[in-house]
Amino acid sequence: MSETLAEQTIPKARSAAAPFAACFLAWLVPGLGHFYLGKKVRAAVFFVVVGATFALGIASDGAASLIEERQPLTFLATFDNVALGTFDLIGRYLTYGTIVYALPGNEADPRRAELLDRLRARVRSVTFEYGNTFLLTAGLMNILLILDAFDIATGRKD
Amino acid sequence: MIRSHLLNMVVFSALVAVFFAFLTQRGTRDRLRVILILGGSMVVLSLVLAYVMYPFPLR
Repeated sequence: MSETLAEQTIPKARSAAAPFAACFLAWLVPGLGHFYLGKKVRAAVFFVVVGATFALGIASDGAASLIEERQPLTFLATFDNVALGTFDLIGRYLTYGTIVYALPGNEADPRRAELLDRLRARVRSVTFEYGNTFLLTAGLMNILLILDAFDIATGRKD
Repeated sequence: MIRSHLLNMVVFSALVAVFFAFLTQRGTRDRLRVILILGGSMVVLSLVLAYVMYPFPLR
């Protein structure tokens, strides 16, 4: 009887916070949300696949996007990059030498020139477009993983 | 860093195929089938599209 009660109470105790915790962990590190939900094989595969996609993007001179107010698509690209959680922080640091999300609007700002110089150094690379494609795809993959973790945590999917 | 366009495409297709196989399927056999069909079709259809586009000039 006590085992039956325990079986009944554990899912209830977990159900309230699990979807949000799973989504947060999935955002923080690709695959961590699935690991939290007990899907360890899937978690390992997702970590390796998204990690490899991200690593290939950085190795191919892809660059983390910066928000520039005059170019609306940069909002989407930056959102996509940010979906990679801690991987995005690494990507930004490797691209710009610091954690930055937006290009200063003032064209006389020396910080803007410095960031653009770092960005142009990558754009000149032959493999820049490949790298950006890999980086953006890794971000899209992690958005799907966050949604998948939410579905598993809410019981819509196993 | 991979400079070959074909190799980049194959690696990209493989990563995307493995990702969707594990996201959408549960059994090993089903996952393998998705990897082969999705990964293979991405590469083959890209080559077919490239072949069809070949006669058209860039400018």
